[in-house]
Amino acid sequence: MTEIILKDIFKSYDQTEVIHGVNLKVESGKFLVLVGPSGCGKSTLLRIIAGLERITSGEILIDGNEVSNIPASERGLAMVFQSYALYPHMSVFKNMAFALENLKMDKKIIEEKVNSAAKLLQIEDYLQRKPKALSGGQRQRVAIGRAIVRDPKAFLFDEPLSNLDAELRVTMRKELSSLHEKIGGTMIYVTHDQVEAMTLADQIVVLNNGYVAQAGAPLNLYNNPSDIFVAGFIGSPKMNFIKITADENAGSFNLCSDSFNLKSGHKNLKHNSIYTLGIRPEHIEVTNKEDSDLIVNVDFSEQLGSETYFYCNSKDINQLIVHHTGQYKINKGDELYLRFKRDSLHLFSEDGMSVTNN
Amino acid sequence: MKNTRNQIKSFFIRILNIPFAFFMHAIDLIMWPIQKIIGVRNMPYIFLLPNLIFFGLFVIIPLGANIFFSLSSGDELLFAERELPTTKQYDELLTCDNYLNPNTCTEDFFWRGVYNTIFFVFFQVGLMIFFSVLTAVILNKNIIGRGFFRSVFFFPVLLSPVVVGLIWQWILLKNGAFNAVIESYGGNKVSFLTDPSWAMASVIFVSIWAHMGFYTLIVLAGLQAIPPNLYEAAEMDGTSRERIFFRITLPLLMPNLLVVFILASIKGVQTFDEIYVLTGGGPGTSTSLIVQYIFTTGFASSGSVQNFGLAAAASMILGVVLLILTLMQLYFSRNKESKHQEI
Repeated sequence: MTEIILKDIFKSYDQTEVIHGVNLKVESGKFLVLVGPSGCGKSTLLRIIAGLERITSGEILIDGNEVSNIPASERGLAMVFQSYALYPHMSVFKNMAFALENLKMDKKIIEEKVNSAAKLLQIEDYLQRKPKALSGGQRQRVAIGRAIVRDPKAFLFDEPLSNLDAELRVTMRKELSSLHEKIGGTMIYVTHDQVEAMTLADQIVVLNNGYVAQAGAPLNLYNNPSDIFVAGFIGSPKMNFIKITADENAGSFNLCSDSFNLKSGHKNLKHNSIYTLGIRPEHIEVTNKEDSDLIVNVDFSEQLGSETYFYCNSKDINQLIVHHTGQYKINKGDELYLRFKRDSLHLFSEDGMSVTNN
Repeated sequence: MKNTRNQIKSFFIRILNIPFAFFMHAIDLIMWPIQKIIGVRNMPYIFLLPNLIFFGLFVIIPLGANIFFSLSSGDELLFAERELPTTKQYDELLTCDNYLNPNTCTEDFFWRGVYNTIFFVFFQVGLMIFFSVLTAVILNKNIIGRGFFRSVFFFPVLLSPVVVGLIWQWILLKNGAFNAVIESYGGNKVSFLTDPSWAMASVIFVSIWAHMGFYTLIVLAGLQAIPPNLYEAAEMDGTSRERIFFRITLPLLMPNLLVVFILASIKGVQTFDEIYVLTGGGPGTSTSLIVQYIFTTGFASSGSVQNFGLAAAASMILGVVLLILTLMQLYFSRNKESKHQEI
């Protein structure tokens, strides 16, 4: 079991700084997911941990040992690449055995290790095949197998499922999760897919433009986003954002827009200041006229059978996405009466920071 | 400012367009009636015709004539005056008491050419592949002035073989530049081009210098086609640099190296001009290759009558060897394409 700590990591390419002082602690045996949009620095950070990129300043500690200046080959980590990076001229067996051969390990031990990893990943039948004769999912398993046989201190995954089709991605996601349970190693996983992050992680680190936007348990990030970026990034469909004005009224605040006027329990707002109200689609209820907070017109609806999504608009709201469990027949242009769940309102100040969590 | 520049630019473009437009209209005048007569579908043949005529005149007809000369005997140049058919020339070329000893062959100069060519191709191709890979590997690294060095290694390929021969003759002659340097350091002059034991080595060296850039380029392209992820994976696997080279780079480079090997062999067998300028095939026949034998026998026999038939037969034999090598090259380059798709 391995603990990885990043202290004040900075990384620049020439004059361009891409990682701006990242601090991170990956606890032993945990599954940490680095998530963020393209170009946020998540892959760079993973490659820094792997030793494939040098840092400009900072410290990388693996089990308390500073490894910033130690080459990748000596850090004892294993990496699974997005493109699998299997050696095309070698058989699956040779691919998996390559790292062990580098260590001049006994042939019998190599065979045992490869066979047991192959059994774990259900690729025993393909050991003599070349990578070109395998499907995407099988190649991914071989890449994972190549990492497992080495008994590494930690596993690093660089968007390993992004080359697979949607169905296979779901299957592999489950397999990765159960693999983590079985072998129990420290794992760092990079993805831009927040669903992958939510389903796999013990801890999620959301990166934005080379900064850590927020780190925490998946549901903590979902329920208590620290800023508007995290709120918008975590969750699918995205959180709805509406510009409102805080209006003080006898010690409490009303959240006002052209479309609604909500009484809120928020205390530390500034009178007449503009905020962004965030509400997730599943926290908006379809109700009757009397109980409603606002009335909207339906642009279109997505009927998925077990659930329905409404895409609506009102006077000052361009698009409001509403989730409804079950089926609901409605026509374009029809009115819909909506009510916001009061305990699920998020408020963000003009600089994007959450004022709900304060 | 930018607007004025654009106006000037478009003015010049319009001026330059006038002769082009005139030219295209002139072509149109000829092409329209032809198209009306033969139809649109047959027009491609009209466009192919000029090249086809040149190809026929300078390739097909000479090839046919060569086959005819190789199978007919006599000193006469005119077809009608030659005796036909005969295998006399082939018999003359291929008759040997001991094929390993050119002195026992009827046409010993031919066999000396054959053995010199084999020796030359073996060392030239082998060393050239070695140095091409070495150079390409270095040029593939992030070294300072990489673009400059890539050009430097490629420039000799652009030189005419005669220029290559003359440059190196100036350097390697007994009173040449290189010997001047050796002498200035207190050494003795070396007869690079006139000592039989040095001449072939000098010729091989010059040939490698002249052609290496082209093969380096092919190897460099092969190196760049190897995904960098594979090297990163190898690094993560704790692979030493030597092992990365021998277990990853070299096997993945093999399709390119095969193409280089075949192309260099074809080119090596055909070598003539630069050696002819550099040593004239000498001293004696020590650097005389098979193409020089064909040239001398067919066109430049001093004293005796030029023997077209014998030269034609020798060139037919050479042609067959080149055909085999070309077919191998085609086979391997197709194989290479499918291998690259695998990566």
